[in-house]
Amino acid sequence: MRRLAYLVKEAMTNIRLNRTTTLVAVASTAFTLACFGVFLLLYLNLRGVVSSLQDDIKVVVYLHDGLSAQGLSDFQQRLRSEREVAALSYVSKEQALADFREQFPSESHLLQGLGENPLPASFVVTLSPRFRSSEAVKQWVKRLTTVPGVGQVQYSRDWIENLATLVGFIELGAIAVGGILSAASVTIIASTIRLTLYARQNEIEILRMVGATGAFIKVPFLLEGAVLGAVGGLLSLAILRGGFDLFKLQLGPTGRFLGIESWLNFFPGHVSLWIIMAGLALGFTGSLVSLIQFGRASS
Amino acid sequence: MIQLFHVSKYYDRRPALSDINLQIEKGEFVLLMGPSGAGKTTLLKLLFGAERPDDGQILVQNRNVARLRPSDIPYLRRTMGIVFQDFRLLPKKNVFENVALPLMVQGASTFETRRKVAEALKAVGIDHKKDHRPATLSAGEQQRVCIARAIVNSPIILLADEPTGNLDPHLASEIIESFKVINARGTTIMVATHNPQVMAQANRRVLMLEQGKLIADPKAGL
Repeated sequence: MRRLAYLVKEAMTNIRLNRTTTLVAVASTAFTLACFGVFLLLYLNLRGVVSSLQDDIKVVVYLHDGLSAQGLSDFQQRLRSEREVAALSYVSKEQALADFREQFPSESHLLQGLGENPLPASFVVTLSPRFRSSEAVKQWVKRLTTVPGVGQVQYSRDWIENLATLVGFIELGAIAVGGILSAASVTIIASTIRLTLYARQNEIEILRMVGATGAFIKVPFLLEGAVLGAVGGLLSLAILRGGFDLFKLQLGPTGRFLGIESWLNFFPGHVSLWIIMAGLALGFTGSLVSLIQFGRASS
Repeated sequence: MIQLFHVSKYYDRRPALSDINLQIEKGEFVLLMGPSGAGKTTLLKLLFGAERPDDGQILVQNRNVARLRPSDIPYLRRTMGIVFQDFRLLPKKNVFENVALPLMVQGASTFETRRKVAEALKAVGIDHKKDHRPATLSAGEQQRVCIARAIVNSPIILLADEPTGNLDPHLASEIIESFKVINARGTTIMVATHNPQVMAQANRRVLMLEQGKLIADPKAGL
């Protein structure tokens, strides 16, 4: 216990005595994790949006105008019995017109010259979760278009799939940027610790002479790296939080983003903890790399 | 206690030590003499495992140092005290902390550390300066601190490399007297020096090295 206290004290003393190199290491780790964090924030938020859109996926089945009341009722019965259908709502021609006028008040004059209501009646179908995959929806829609009385079938699958693909690319980007910047951060921390190692070469030699084991000599440096990394991780979270809040604040008053700012969320607690742990791991790895190189050089 | 069998050591193919055979008994006080470059420091380094011999075997307390794994060397050194010409004290730690270092690496308790450090400092007559930093001490005082650090762990063997090299004759004499006291308590001592004053004052067994060869050892009939 006393030995551990000594090792921790040594690590802290070293951090205090090497302020400039400590600052460089902390800043580089914070920068690395902040860059990675931007991608992660974007990825997590977009993934959330895609997931909620996928949950809300709807298929609109437009009907021919000449469909009789009996035909309409039969078709409704048929839809209800389909495994793919979770919920169903009917939109009459009149309702469609009213909706159009309400949603596009400035364009309602377009329909005035036509005389009769050109908008078709439709069923809005909410799909069962099991049948929301791209292929399942395609198959079902294909089958549906052959049913008599059905005009056109529309669904928003494509752009949701495109968004999902974009999220996939962002994920890849985050991994690539994270990987490259992590390597840079490990190198900078390794250099920081190496400077300390060379500055304390005499001390290390004395410790060896009085019977210190390799672990006793290395532990303070590993602790130092881990502490620098963890502090860098904390700092990156503070930077990200500040940037995130500022971004949301900028989005709010413009009103041009369909209220998207209310969908945006910062990292949940466990992800924040993982970022700090990632900083700690980067710092520890940097120290380890440095100690291995120093060990080779001094032997 | 210490046995060397046909030990040789080369640096860049040039022999630093050639075919050394030597035996030192427990409790002996031995002086290792010779001019600069004779191989004194190399011989000490071989004994505490800082170097490995190219030929021959070295037994220290019945352990073959030449075959020790690197991870075992710290444990060998914990049974030894080492005194250097340049003191090798940690400048940012005070006298107490410097002397306590060997106990710290072994995980000694606070109580044990305080007791042993106080004893060691008292033994070399520097207990009144335990809170001082090395830079505030004279050369003689720094060497005493170095000796206190070497004996704090009650070592079986004390190795000293030119311990009086940086000291004036009066201080050198005091250091040799300290070694005699430590030796009287049963510690085996080997002091490497080229200072004739030390030889005269110590009046103990003298091993003479020249160009890496042992040319004089009264016990071996050389």
